[in-house]
Amino acid sequence: MTLAFPDYLILALYFGFVLGIGWRLKKRVSTSEDFLTSGRSVPVWITSLAFVAANLGAQEVIGMCASGAKYGIMTSHFYWVGAIPAMLFLGVFMMPFYYGSRARSVPEYLKLRFDEKTRGLNAITFALMTIFSSGISMYALGLLFQLVLGWSFTASVLLSAAIVLVYTYLGGLTSAIYNEVLQFFLVVLGFSPLAILAVAKAGGWRGISSRLSPVMTHAWTYTTSSSQNPMGVEWFGLIAGLGFVLSFGYWCTDFLVIQRALAANSMSAARRTPLIAAFPKMIIPFIVILPGVAAMALMQMNLGYTLPVKGAGYDYDQVLPTLMAQFYPSGLLGVGLTALMASFMSGMAGNVTAFNTVFTFDIYQSYIRRHAPDSHYLWVGRWTTVAGIALSIGTAYLARLYNNIMDLLQLVFGFVNAPLFATFLLGMFWKRATGHGAFTGLLAGTGAAALTHGLTMAEGKGGWIGVVHVFPSTMAQNFWIAIVAWSVCFLVTIAVSLATRPRAETELRGLVFGLTATPNEPGLVWYKRPAVLAVVVGVICLLLNFLFW
Amino acid sequence: MWDLRTPSGLFFLMVGLILCAVGAISPATRAPLTNVNIDLYVGASMILFGGVLLWLARRHS
Repeated sequence: MTLAFPDYLILALYFGFVLGIGWRLKKRVSTSEDFLTSGRSVPVWITSLAFVAANLGAQEVIGMCASGAKYGIMTSHFYWVGAIPAMLFLGVFMMPFYYGSRARSVPEYLKLRFDEKTRGLNAITFALMTIFSSGISMYALGLLFQLVLGWSFTASVLLSAAIVLVYTYLGGLTSAIYNEVLQFFLVVLGFSPLAILAVAKAGGWRGISSRLSPVMTHAWTYTTSSSQNPMGVEWFGLIAGLGFVLSFGYWCTDFLVIQRALAANSMSAARRTPLIAAFPKMIIPFIVILPGVAAMALMQMNLGYTLPVKGAGYDYDQVLPTLMAQFYPSGLLGVGLTALMASFMSGMAGNVTAFNTVFTFDIYQSYIRRHAPDSHYLWVGRWTTVAGIALSIGTAYLARLYNNIMDLLQLVFGFVNAPLFATFLLGMFWKRATGHGAFTGLLAGTGAAALTHGLTMAEGKGGWIGVVHVFPSTMAQNFWIAIVAWSVCFLVTIAVSLATRPRAETELRGLVFGLTATPNEPGLVWYKRPAVLAVVVGVICLLLNFLFW
Repeated sequence: MWDLRTPSGLFFLMVGLILCAVGAISPATRAPLTNVNIDLYVGASMILFGGVLLWLARRHS
């Protein structure tokens, strides 16, 4: 694939605009909270789109398209089951505690609700994870651009990192959020022509269904047993593992996304952020998964389109770039590649801004220097941004050299994340839960996750202690590890909490259900009420599931 | 608060103009599997989208 002048022009224009937005927002930053939390001043439509965009990184776009080609429309479960219900729960039930507690970060909420050690555990693992995931996606981007465009790995990694650095260093979270909105528009406008062209070429949905095996075009029909579908999952593991534990664990506790909602300018806006974000989130499968499904149909049509082979199968990660090369002429190709770059940057800026906030407030201000003037923390926040990006670049190179270490780290982070939602659920809805309970619950849950992995096997993975059970796929294994970790954390937290001394109820006001006034926002028009929005989203989401049943 | 619709609108207006220009200058350019002047269509849609954002921002201020 080669780029021509108009393609470079569009890419350059995009770089100019993101840097310009950072420059323009520079003067809004005068305190550490302006820089790290946007001073709770961002309009709701912006926080909502940023909420979706921060999660819509390049790896997600490429990965979901690949997954669409490999597994078919079942991939949509990662949205309609694995995101929407959790986003609704966050907006309706959890946001009042996050926003109302005035915590500046998710670990800080844990400190207010539980104790210092629970915060420390969450803050440190979260900080490591954000660096790791931004490094990994940088590596993926560098690799892709090297493969598809022949650009140098180092040049694409450094250029994109430098641009993210400049605009987040200048304007902080506000700049990251504003740019995420621009990036979101670009991703949607840049990739939807591809979906339309590819599906039309494959003869529409009817043409696709007639060319592919029915398991590729049905989301639920083949989930009564794991042997029926290529994902190797059955409906219970899917709903409990992905739809409940993993999805709620990510959307309801991950500071990367919650930070966007906390930047909103009122409680009502913060609650509406994930609810409004659910609308575009439901539509994204049509833009990123559908082209992948269409690609498999196109391969049956002898049009000259085929995927590169990798090992025994296809190199699915190349579905998106190869489709672009086939459907986008010069001009639109530039838009497509700029959209890919934009999705990468929004994901990376999301990680970097979450990292600098957690590091500055939850690690530096808590353990390194407590009572410094605010200008000092602003300075720390700025330099943490630089350090975070430098560490991500380091991680990208590490990933290039030692792929196995990265797989191992990813596995370990998975163990840490799996039980998290049990801690938050009990913390927010059970006033008896204690700090000791939460901390031991988290450790026990992580241990249980590791143990489950060590005792089960799937596609040659796991089983390093002994093999008690064999799963049909690593996806099924992941879902069940999550279910076990969540349950262990839930039970251990309850048991230890009951055995330890509870905190006085006066200390828990605003942090726990039952001790917090429910925000009823009188005078809010009906379509702005969280419950109404949640019902509308829920109904549309159900309809989508039935449509592709 | 600075209105984000202004720069976003401008950006899409400019990208749309570039695409339309490409589509108009070489109307016969096609990608291997596309048989319409897609640059022109997407460019026009982007101009429309950018225009709507600018109009909304103007109306608001």
